[in-house]
Amino acid sequence: MSQEVNLHGQSEVITTHEVHHDEHHGHHHKETFITKYIFSQDHKMIAKQFLVTGIIWAIIGGLFSVLFRLQLGYPNESFPFLETILGKWAAGGKIQPEFYYALITMHGTVLVFFVLTAGLSGTFSNFLIPLQVGARDMASPFMNMLSYWFFFAASVLMVSSLFVQTGPASGGWTSYPPLSALGDASEGSKIGMDLWLISMALFVVNSLLGSLNYISTILNMRTKGMSMTRVPLTIWALFFTAVLGVLSFPVLLSGFILLLFDRHAGTSFYLSDIFLASTQKALPNEGGSAILYQHLFWFLGHPEVYIIILPTMGLVSDVMSANARKPIFGYMAMVASMFAICVLAFLVWAHHMFVTGLNPFLGSVFVLLTLLIAVPSAIKVFNWLTTLWRGNLRFTPGMLFAIGFVSMFISGGLTGIFLGNSTLDIHLHDTYFVIAHFHIVMGVSAFFGMFAGLYHWFPKMFGRYMNNTLAYIHFWITLVGAYLIFWPMHYQGFAGVPRRYLDFSGWASFNQFEGLNRFISIVTIVVFAIQLLFVFNFFYSMFKGRRVTTQNPWQATTLEWTTPINPGHGNWEGEIPEVHRWAYDYGKDGRDFIPQTEPVSKTESPEGAH
Amino acid sequence: MDNLHELQEVTHHHEFDREASRKEVMRVTVILSVITLIELALGFWLMYIDGEFFRLLIKGVICVLMLAKAFYIVAYFMHLKHELRNMIMTIVVPLLLFVWFLVAFLYDGNSYKNLKNTYDPYHYEQSKTKAEKPAHGAGETKDAKKEGSVE
Amino acid sequence: MAQAVPAEQKWWSGGKSPFNVEYGKLMMWYFLMSDAFTFGAFLISYGTIRFSSNSWPDPNEVFQSFPGLGSGLPLMFVSLMTFILIISSVTMVLAVQAGHAMDKKAVVRNLILTIIGGIAFLSCQAWEWTHMFHEGAWWGSNPFLNIDGTKASTNFTNFFFTITGFHGFHVFSGVIINIIMLIMTLNDVFERRGHYLMIEKAGLYWHFVDLVWVFVFTVFYLV
Repeated sequence: MSQEVNLHGQSEVITTHEVHHDEHHGHHHKETFITKYIFSQDHKMIAKQFLVTGIIWAIIGGLFSVLFRLQLGYPNESFPFLETILGKWAAGGKIQPEFYYALITMHGTVLVFFVLTAGLSGTFSNFLIPLQVGARDMASPFMNMLSYWFFFAASVLMVSSLFVQTGPASGGWTSYPPLSALGDASEGSKIGMDLWLISMALFVVNSLLGSLNYISTILNMRTKGMSMTRVPLTIWALFFTAVLGVLSFPVLLSGFILLLFDRHAGTSFYLSDIFLASTQKALPNEGGSAILYQHLFWFLGHPEVYIIILPTMGLVSDVMSANARKPIFGYMAMVASMFAICVLAFLVWAHHMFVTGLNPFLGSVFVLLTLLIAVPSAIKVFNWLTTLWRGNLRFTPGMLFAIGFVSMFISGGLTGIFLGNSTLDIHLHDTYFVIAHFHIVMGVSAFFGMFAGLYHWFPKMFGRYMNNTLAYIHFWITLVGAYLIFWPMHYQGFAGVPRRYLDFSGWASFNQFEGLNRFISIVTIVVFAIQLLFVFNFFYSMFKGRRVTTQNPWQATTLEWTTPINPGHGNWEGEIPEVHRWAYDYGKDGRDFIPQTEPVSKTESPEGAH
Repeated sequence: MDNLHELQEVTHHHEFDREASRKEVMRVTVILSVITLIELALGFWLMYIDGEFFRLLIKGVICVLMLAKAFYIVAYFMHLKHELRNMIMTIVVPLLLFVWFLVAFLYDGNSYKNLKNTYDPYHYEQSKTKAEKPAHGAGETKDAKKEGSVE
Repeated sequence: MAQAVPAEQKWWSGGKSPFNVEYGKLMMWYFLMSDAFTFGAFLISYGTIRFSSNSWPDPNEVFQSFPGLGSGLPLMFVSLMTFILIISSVTMVLAVQAGHAMDKKAVVRNLILTIIGGIAFLSCQAWEWTHMFHEGAWWGSNPFLNIDGTKASTNFTNFFFTITGFHGFHVFSGVIINIIMLIMTLNDVFERRGHYLMIEKAGLYWHFVDLVWVFVFTVFYLV
């Protein structure tokens, strides 16, 4: 078997790692800048590429929210500097309605897909899967590289859509037809919408290539002794995330293809009985159903929120166990509840459509299925709390963010029970209550989990620590700020304030929220600024941070900490270690921690005992 | 070496009796062809059936035959039946998601029709009016020469 | 730990594939599952729209022409297409089996037959599309009436061209893959590798194309 063939990811038979990358033991190929940093096939470098791209996207997406919060907080004032930067989109220093819709659309798209799907899953799946299961690299490093470059291409298209004359897509991140299907319906439904759809199609390819790789790596490439019940919960979480992606993204792709046909081929998949005000014309399209698109979209859209939250659940479990110096409570219950979430994710999509014309009886079935999600979610929350209980907590930045994650997840999860009821939804749908719910439970929570992971694994990624003082400032202001931003929105939602509205000054009943809106906007700006502090900390520490001097700085049990401080392509020098125990032997038999690689001694208490 | 062992482990499984599997392929080919012929016969028959219930019944039978064909292709041509049970499970179990996928979508499609017929009487009336000549769609008008297809 | 359970093969203990397959085949299977959801979504959308319509065209009236024989022959042409695809699937299985037996000649022969089958299917589809186009059918244009004689929406042809087009695209890429496999076989790439597992993966893809046709055939032409 020639090594050249292996290297190009076409090797056929080898299921383990030794041969797969054995060039790394002996001679090293000379790596150029391009093969090392750009077209890299090393999973660690690809993870960093995803991470940095994700950070750039997060800044862009966050900036959008600052811009539209400016409008919401100060509807009567004008900001001449905005006109300087944005030109006609902010004529007279005021955000124009079309641009406002573009902002909220792109804010949603960017953060949901580009940051919290690719940036999160792409980073941690790539980085942690081979390291934690004990593999030299992904099953197919070449496909892994392709996955990133599809993401990059999607990013380029999405960025370019920001600069076209008619502006980017602006029909909301869900892009419901008929608005998104008819170019004449709005500025944002013209070329911006096409770029959005093509970019998202490329994104689906990226997700598919990545997910297939993650699944087969986790199944096939585990090192000796690493049975599925011994892998860290992170691996389980990333596994279920990948499964969700493989099964749900293609449905979105189908929906988008049909939408593209509706836009350009004169079809009527989603269109029927339309009179277009802008052209004063009745359209000939007959027989389509806009609800069909919503079904297709949410068949992905709902699993998508678990694609966002599951990886962070895994990361948080591991960070928490390592920093509480205790085994994770209820490992199998954690796995089972993630599995349950993964299954339920596919069964509940239409709870996003209770008031859009969905059959009410069908809606009630979806209510039942939706409320079932509370069970596995609650199991997970109780397990995290029990892991913390009487633990020997180390309040590292990673740990703080992990605890913050649990807090956010509880706060946001509880409002999900409100929204899961179709009757309550008649009042609450499309209000700020919904905004508050999903921002807390999947936006902020996922960011907290991601930060926990970043602070925790930064030493492994770059061989340096991040600055702790900045990290603590980052944590406290983000935590307090996130609650200050989103908690009041619940009350606005109860009062019926609709989302996606440019200006509320026309409603006497919403005038009472003027001060509150301004307050939220100010906090948003502060929190956004603090995230920039994190970005500074991140890049500064990458080059100037305190060096890691020990292999295992957190005294953790998992495999990634048995690699050299700066592991090369291939991760381990010499043999891949064999695994003899689960990942959570903390505080066992009077020992602080026992690495997974240590054989079980005869006198030891049984596995899992504490 | 460990990997050599591994390699054999993965491949030995395929060292099978070629003649036996050739027979299996032929058997499955015959089965598939027969099922297809039955399907076609039923399809023809549908043209001469008027009873709504009976039509649905035949269509149901055709769908069952379709699933049978799918089973034979996946199990024998794609060799799934001869894989390890766990692998079969990882592929078959997720496909069960199609059940709710299909039921919910079709149920809601049907409901959409009923709601529209109820609340848009004009639409209902239109959809019950017989057309004189072949209708043209939304696209450009073509001089559709009828080749006896629409009568 | 692993003391006294030698009898049963420990598939899941790490260090080996739990399914006894190489990662490429695993990926191919899961890719096909993913693709099944793409097609599933298309076909279920078709069903949903059909269920939301008061009536729908009758396939026996739409598809009733045969090249050279004229019209009035419902289901004939599509039967031919179906059998072409089934037979090409059979030759593909034979190619895979020949690969297992390291029988290069048989691999080449069966691959060529499969490719011919694929091209034949695509040609049939091209003829059918052209024929329908001349009847006035296209995306956004439907000359056929509903079965009850009422005016049909364009969605019958919309879905027909989209879904058979997407399927045809899969057949086309399958043919390309098979041609690549043929060239690799002729160049002894697999002989040197010592196994023909790549052909097996190409075969999975090809059978999947056949599988999808089973569903497309049923929902568009039969029911």
